[in-house]
Amino acid sequence: MSPSSAVAEPVAPAARPGRYPLALFRSELQLVFGRARTWVLLAVLAGVPLLIGIAIKLSGSEGGGEGFIGQVAGNGLFLIVASLGLSLPFFLPTAVTVIAGESLAGESSLGTLRNLLTAPAGRSRLLAAKMVALIVFCLAATLTIWLSGLIVGFALFPVGDVLLLSGTTIPLGEGLLRALGIAVVIALSLLGLAGIGLFVSSLTSTPLAAMAATFGTFIVLGILTAIPQIDVIHPWLLMFRWTSFADLLRDPPYWGAIGKNLLLQAGYLTVFYAAAWARITSRDIV
Amino acid sequence: MTQTQQQPAAGSPLVTRGLTKRFRGGQVAVDSVDLEVPAGSVFGFLGPNGSGKTTTIRMLLGLIAPTAGEVQLLGEPMPKAQLRVLPRVGALVEGPAFYPFWSGQANLLRFDAADSTADPRTRKARAGEALERVGLSNAAGKKVRAYSLGMRQRLAIAVALMQRRELLVLDEPTNGLDPQGTREVRHLIQDLAGDGTTIFTSTHLLAEVEQVCTHAAVMSRGKLIRQSSVAELRAELRPRLVVRTPDLGIAAETLKSLGVTDLKTTDETVEGDAVELPIEKFAAALVAADVRIHGFGLERPSLEETFVALTGEGFDVAQ
Amino acid sequence: MGATQRSRRWLVPVAAVAVVAGVGTLGPVVADASPKLPGISAQELLAKVQTAKVDGLSGTVQSSADLGLPALPGVAGGSDSPSGAVTELLSGKHTARVAFAAPDKARVSVLDTMAERVWTMDGKSAWAYDSAEREAVKLNLPAHQPGKPAAGTPKSYDPQSVAKQFLDAIDPSTKVDVSGTEKVAGRDAYKLRLIPRADQTTVGSVTLAVDSKTWVPLQVTVLPRTGKDPAVQVGFSQVSFDVPAASTFAFTPPKGVKVTEPKTPTTRPDRPAKPIDPKAVPGKPNLKAGNEPTVIGEGWSAVVLVRGAELTGANGPLDQLLAGAQQVQGSWGKGKIVTSKMVNVLLTDDGRVFAGLVTPQTLQDAAAKAPR
Ligand SMILES: Nc1ncnc2c1ncn2[C@@H]1O[C@H](COP(=O)(O)OP(=O)(O)OP(=O)(O)O)[C@@H](O)[C@H]1O
Ligand SMILES: [Mg+2]
Repeated sequence: MSPSSAVAEPVAPAARPGRYPLALFRSELQLVFGRARTWVLLAVLAGVPLLIGIAIKLSGSEGGGEGFIGQVAGNGLFLIVASLGLSLPFFLPTAVTVIAGESLAGESSLGTLRNLLTAPAGRSRLLAAKMVALIVFCLAATLTIWLSGLIVGFALFPVGDVLLLSGTTIPLGEGLLRALGIAVVIALSLLGLAGIGLFVSSLTSTPLAAMAATFGTFIVLGILTAIPQIDVIHPWLLMFRWTSFADLLRDPPYWGAIGKNLLLQAGYLTVFYAAAWARITSRDIV
Repeated sequence: MTQTQQQPAAGSPLVTRGLTKRFRGGQVAVDSVDLEVPAGSVFGFLGPNGSGKTTTIRMLLGLIAPTAGEVQLLGEPMPKAQLRVLPRVGALVEGPAFYPFWSGQANLLRFDAADSTADPRTRKARAGEALERVGLSNAAGKKVRAYSLGMRQRLAIAVALMQRRELLVLDEPTNGLDPQGTREVRHLIQDLAGDGTTIFTSTHLLAEVEQVCTHAAVMSRGKLIRQSSVAELRAELRPRLVVRTPDLGIAAETLKSLGVTDLKTTDETVEGDAVELPIEKFAAALVAADVRIHGFGLERPSLEETFVALTGEGFDVAQ
Repeated sequence: MGATQRSRRWLVPVAAVAVVAGVGTLGPVVADASPKLPGISAQELLAKVQTAKVDGLSGTVQSSADLGLPALPGVAGGSDSPSGAVTELLSGKHTARVAFAAPDKARVSVLDTMAERVWTMDGKSAWAYDSAEREAVKLNLPAHQPGKPAAGTPKSYDPQSVAKQFLDAIDPSTKVDVSGTEKVAGRDAYKLRLIPRADQTTVGSVTLAVDSKTWVPLQVTVLPRTGKDPAVQVGFSQVSFDVPAASTFAFTPPKGVKVTEPKTPTTRPDRPAKPIDPKAVPGKPNLKAGNEPTVIGEGWSAVVLVRGAELTGANGPLDQLLAGAQQVQGSWGKGKIVTSKMVNVLLTDDGRVFAGLVTPQTLQDAAAKAPR
């Protein structure tokens, strides 16, 4: 994934790593998860299943509606799937955009970037640590929804065997595992956006600008995905296969589209991570 | 990158050759600077605002890339060998910068964790020691957001002191400190220098330089205009003969006849360059000329005056 | 380190773009390089196809249709009417899982976005299930029900002579050849190509990829006369010729699913449309016919005539289409012509609609010949 390992060599040939190269990664996680802002974001995400659950409970519907939402009243487990699916178009990208936009631009605006670099963190390693923290955040975000959906779903609704899209039924335990798989797939689906955010964040010293630009890019990609005239480029667009997570609820799971989605995310991540690397390693840090 | 094989003076921990930085606007902030900091010295880096000190320090530490020239830190080329060199260099660049939502101690721990050579087992202890040295032990758990400017400055020094360093590069370490703090930092620098650490520090406080520095360099408009030991600088400062008297006219004429040049007359004094010594000769001549002497002696100009003489008068920054 | 050296680092992301784009576009091409197979004549290949007999298969079918119809935002698929479902399947890209076991078990599931439509029959009964509605329709099959095309009818005849007869019959209108080999769903296949001789048609060629071991057609590709991109392509992206387990075709209505059981087996379930048939060639565009359509001409240049079609009204997208259509006139009268890559439609002012996989000029000629 990281081009740094291969390309950074000629830049610092003598750069033998110290004995504790992972300390920075741990510190980076502390930085992301040691901030109130992160916990507010996660709390908002945890609130999604709660809101949906309460709304369905209050409306008293017996589960007649279409899609996953319509199944929640009959089986609380679908609250997890419905919440993950409904968070994907907006809440999750927003959360990722905030954290990714903050990552390098935040350090730059505080001036802590120069402290890190004279420590020395090493620019490539710092970027890798930022990326790892972003990946962990993506996972934390979707797992938060999974957990909150589990608790709220089990508290408010009956639970039982899980009806798959293909019309077959699996036991609850397997259903929970598949929902967990969906959480992981959605987290991985966010990585392309995280890569874009990291790159944009390396361009500026203003975290808000980085967030706005990343979210703007996300919106533009979304609009492009909705224009049928340019469907030739659709398979190349970031969100084109985002809905493939539902393929985990087929019998057996259909991996084709999920695989393509993950490849696409990997492609975006590679390109934008490489760009962020080129930027951060050549940039004047003032 | 042209690798000049010109070797630095044996063991010099900080050498630059033709170091130049031209910013994107075309402005040359640092112009062909050749620095050479002797091992074990306390090196004062002086210059008016905007003369290029911080820019030079950024290049020394690999934060910005030089347009031309090269830097050797601890005998190794920068920024090529930065991951090997910088753990042995403590740095403070352009004011304190911290995570305001974290405590002073947490900030120290983070920057130490960024150094892959720093032992995590001793991290807490070393942080405690560094905080102790800068007098922040009592505020260690306080959020940096609630620190005063001076406290932040002290914390920034603590970052540089987290490990045993061979070289300290400090950009205005006493900026914003109270008199006690300034004095503490002076003592700290003297202590560290006593342990054999080379210290390269930019400062505007010339009293500091006179008290602690062994060497000094002066920047002006991006150029290095002076570089020598402080003793040498001081020796060059020719003392001036100052006569306090009400008989200004006669005194001036007498001194002139004795070969004193650059005579200046103020309300109460006549002064000039006393080329020849001993000075008793002048005293005797003045007495003989019936000049009433209220005061008589040699005065050394301060470093400040030298500094102004070197870098020019005027309050406006150069660029 | 000089500025030029540092700017050279941007070569890394540029290279990354090139690699990613290369893998994305060239990867499949490299993987599908033509396999080496012994030569075969069109007649032999046709004969082999007729002898093809599999006891069962399962796989994934991908279909993509780009008839060059103008794309209109907001009308992409998803219609609730049966005709809407058909047009929806005939446009865009679809993925379906298919399974078949001789003689009469079959299952097709169309993998929709976050939903699935299933048709399955196990010999005794047939089910249609729509996950979006969570509704199932059950049909009790009559004793004899034709299975999938590949089942064939076990009659004894000479495939070689049948193939020859067929080739002779279509030779005046169509050139048939074996145009090479191809990898489809990881299997080596021959390409049997049909090229219309008439230049009135917009069809460039129809190519069947025939598996070199089982002689089952794996893919159908329809190319327009102009352009290189297929107008229609239906084929396996993954296939296995193992007989699927009987449980594959069984359907037990799950709890919470509404089951309806129509009395007459001839009635088709409303919402689920007919399954994708890998051999299907797209039909004519879906128009609300005023009366029975007539066919003018034959073969590739056949034109369908529909009278009294209602063309005006609150049909937004159609109005949009017509607004941009070219105005034409001739001995037959005046009208508008809607052109696309493959399908062309002539709408006369007196309410007749001519459509076909033919050139606009052919449509006008047909209109001139057609009885009023
Ligand atoms: N990022 C930058 N882009 C353009 N010009 C810059 C940049 N940083 C500094 N300069 C210019 O370079 C010159 C030297 O600045 P520098 O910060 O090195 O001065 P200094 O000697 O540290 O001043 P001070 O005593 O005020 O700290 C100034 O004229 C400044 O305007
Ligand atoms: Mg400065």
